[in-house]
Amino acid sequence: MIQVKGLTKEFADPKRGKRLAVDGVSFEVHSGEVFGLLGPNGAGKTTTLRVLATLLKPTSGTATLNGFDIVREPEKVREQIGFLSGDMGLYGRLTPVEILDFFGKLNGMDTARRASRIDKLVTMLDMSAFAGVRTDKLSTGMKQKTAIARTMLNDPPVLILDEPTSGLDVPTAQTIETAIVEAKKDGKCLLYSTHVMEEAEHLCDRIGVIHGGKLKITGTMEELRQATGKQRLREIFLSLLEVEA
Amino acid sequence: MRLPMIVAIYRKEILDLTRDRRTMISMVLLPVLLIPLLLNVSTRLISRVQENAAQEARSMAVAVKSLSPAVREALEKSGISVAPGDDLKEAVLNKTAAAGVEESGAVVRIVLDGSNPTSSAAAERVRAALDALKDAKVREALAGSGISPSVLTPFTVKRDNVAGARKMAGMMWGSMLGYLLLLMMFSGGMHPVIDMTVGEKERKTMEALLAAPAHRKEIVIGKGLAAMTAIFMTAILTLGSLVISLKGSSLGGKSTEAREMFATIPLDAHTVAMIVITLLPLAVFAASLMIAIALFAKSAKEAGSYLTPLLMAVIFPALMGGLAGIKVTPLLCLIPIFNASQIIRGILLGDATMTNFAITTVANLVYAGIAFWVATRTFENENVLFRS
Repeated sequence: MIQVKGLTKEFADPKRGKRLAVDGVSFEVHSGEVFGLLGPNGAGKTTTLRVLATLLKPTSGTATLNGFDIVREPEKVREQIGFLSGDMGLYGRLTPVEILDFFGKLNGMDTARRASRIDKLVTMLDMSAFAGVRTDKLSTGMKQKTAIARTMLNDPPVLILDEPTSGLDVPTAQTIETAIVEAKKDGKCLLYSTHVMEEAEHLCDRIGVIHGGKLKITGTMEELRQATGKQRLREIFLSLLEVEA
Repeated sequence: MRLPMIVAIYRKEILDLTRDRRTMISMVLLPVLLIPLLLNVSTRLISRVQENAAQEARSMAVAVKSLSPAVREALEKSGISVAPGDDLKEAVLNKTAAAGVEESGAVVRIVLDGSNPTSSAAAERVRAALDALKDAKVREALAGSGISPSVLTPFTVKRDNVAGARKMAGMMWGSMLGYLLLLMMFSGGMHPVIDMTVGEKERKTMEALLAAPAHRKEIVIGKGLAAMTAIFMTAILTLGSLVISLKGSSLGGKSTEAREMFATIPLDAHTVAMIVITLLPLAVFAASLMIAIALFAKSAKEAGSYLTPLLMAVIFPALMGGLAGIKVTPLLCLIPIFNASQIIRGILLGDATMTNFAITTVANLVYAGIAFWVATRTFENENVLFRS
C-alpha cells in the first residue's frame, strides 16, 4: 500500500524564484484499490508521482510504498513499483521484446521468468503482431501497450501510472483499462493520474483532486458528491477548482 | 554495486548505439573512410596534379627576350621549346607561356607564376638548364686558367642518419598518432555520449530508467563503459585505418627513404600494449567528462554546443604533445591529454621512460576518477536530470 504524509516539493526556479509544486499532500492507497489523482495542468500531479517513484526527493514529508520509505530506501521502493510516465519512455531503436527484456534484467528477473512474463503480457495486451518491430515504427497505441507491459513486467505490488490512456484511440484505451482492472483484481495498489473524468469515475475506487500543489479533497465518488453537492465528476472537479461548470 | 545491472545497461546501450546511424557514422565511417580519403586520395591527387604540371611544363613554350645565343642554346638543348615574347609577365599570367626568361647583362631573370604548378615546374627546368650552363662555363674558365675543376668540390658532405628506419618512422608516427588518436577518441565518443545522456532526456526514456531498481552509480558505470567502448572502437579503427592507408599511400614522394619511413609501422605487440595502457584511463576520463557535460544540456543540440569547445580544448594539448623538441619532465606528465600525446610519441620513438609513463598513467587515472565522480554526482542531481 501507499502512505503519503505531508509530502512537499519545492523547486528553485531561477526566473520565478522558489515554487511549491506539492504542498503538504497526504493520502493512502490500499492494496486492491485504484486511487485517481486528478488536477489541471501544473497542479502537482506529475511531481507527486515522480516523488513517489523516487525520481525526485521530497523537500519535506515522506511516503512509504509497500512498507519502504521513499527517502531512506529509494532502491527498495523502486523494486516495489511499476512506473509509467506520461511520455511512455520507450527506446525507439529497440523492439518491445528487447525493451521488456532489458527492464526485466533491471528488475533482477531470471531468464525463464522474463520469458514467461513477456509472453503473458504480449498475449494479454495483444502485442504479438508488433512485439518484434522497432518501437519507433509503432503507432501511439502500440507504444502505450508496450509501456504498460514494461510497467507490469515484474508484477510489482504498486503501480504508478501517469495519464496511461492519454492520446489513445478508444480500443487501445479499453485494453489499457482492462489491464488496470485486472491488476486491481490481482490485489495491486494503483495510483494513477488522468484528465479523462469518465475514465476516473469508472475505474477509481477513490479520487483525490489536487490544485496548486494542495490536495483539495479525497474520497469515493459518493463522498465527493456529498461534499460538493454535485453529481458528475466533471462538475465536482470544476467546483473544487472554483470554476463555474 | 551489482554486476548484472551494469552488464544489462551496458548491453542495452551497445545494442542501441549499433542501431543508431549517426553513431555509426561518427564511430565507424569517419575513421574508416575519412583517413584513407585524406591520406590516399589527397596524396594521389596531389601527385597527379604534379605529374600533369610537369608534363604540361615540358610541352608548353617558354617566352624569351634578349637572350644570348649560349643561353638560348642551353635551354633548347634541355628540351625546352622557346618562343620570343615582348611582355613576359603578361605571357606567363595569360598562360600563353609556361615561364619567361630574360637576359640583361650578367643577370638572367626567370619569370614565373608561383601559384601555377605548370609555371613553377617550367621555371625549375629553366633554372636547371641555366645552372648546367653556368657550371659548364665555370669549368671552361678554370680549364683555360689551368686550374683543376676539382677546386669546385674541395670536399663532399655526407649525412649518416643513425636513427634507422624504425626510429624515423617512430618520429613521424609519434608526431601525429597521439594527436589523431586523442582527437578521434573525443570526437568519436561525442555522439554516443550525447545519445545515451541528453538523448534519453530528450526522448523521455530517462524517467523509466531512473524508476527501475538500478542504482544511479550502476547506470553511470553501464553507460560509461558503453561510451568507453565507442571511444576505444573509434581509436582502434583510426589506428587500423591509418596503418592501411599509410601502407598503400604515396606519401614520401619519390624518395625511397621517405617512402620506407612512411610505410614502416613501428607497432609491435609491446608498443601497442603500452599505447593501450596509456589510452585506457584517458578513455574513462573522456567518457565520464563528456557524460557529465552532456547531462547538463536540455537537448542534443545544446549538448553539441557544450562538447564542441571540449574538442577544441583537446586539439591544442594533443598537437603540442606530438611536437619534437619538448623535453618531457614529470611535471609535464601531469597535464591531461598533453601527457598522453607526448608519452605515445615517446613510446613510438622508444625513449619513453618508465617514470614518465607511470606518472602519465597514474595522473590520467586520477583525472578519470574525478571525472567519473563528477558524472555520478551529476547523475544524482535531480535539478540537472529534470532540467527543462
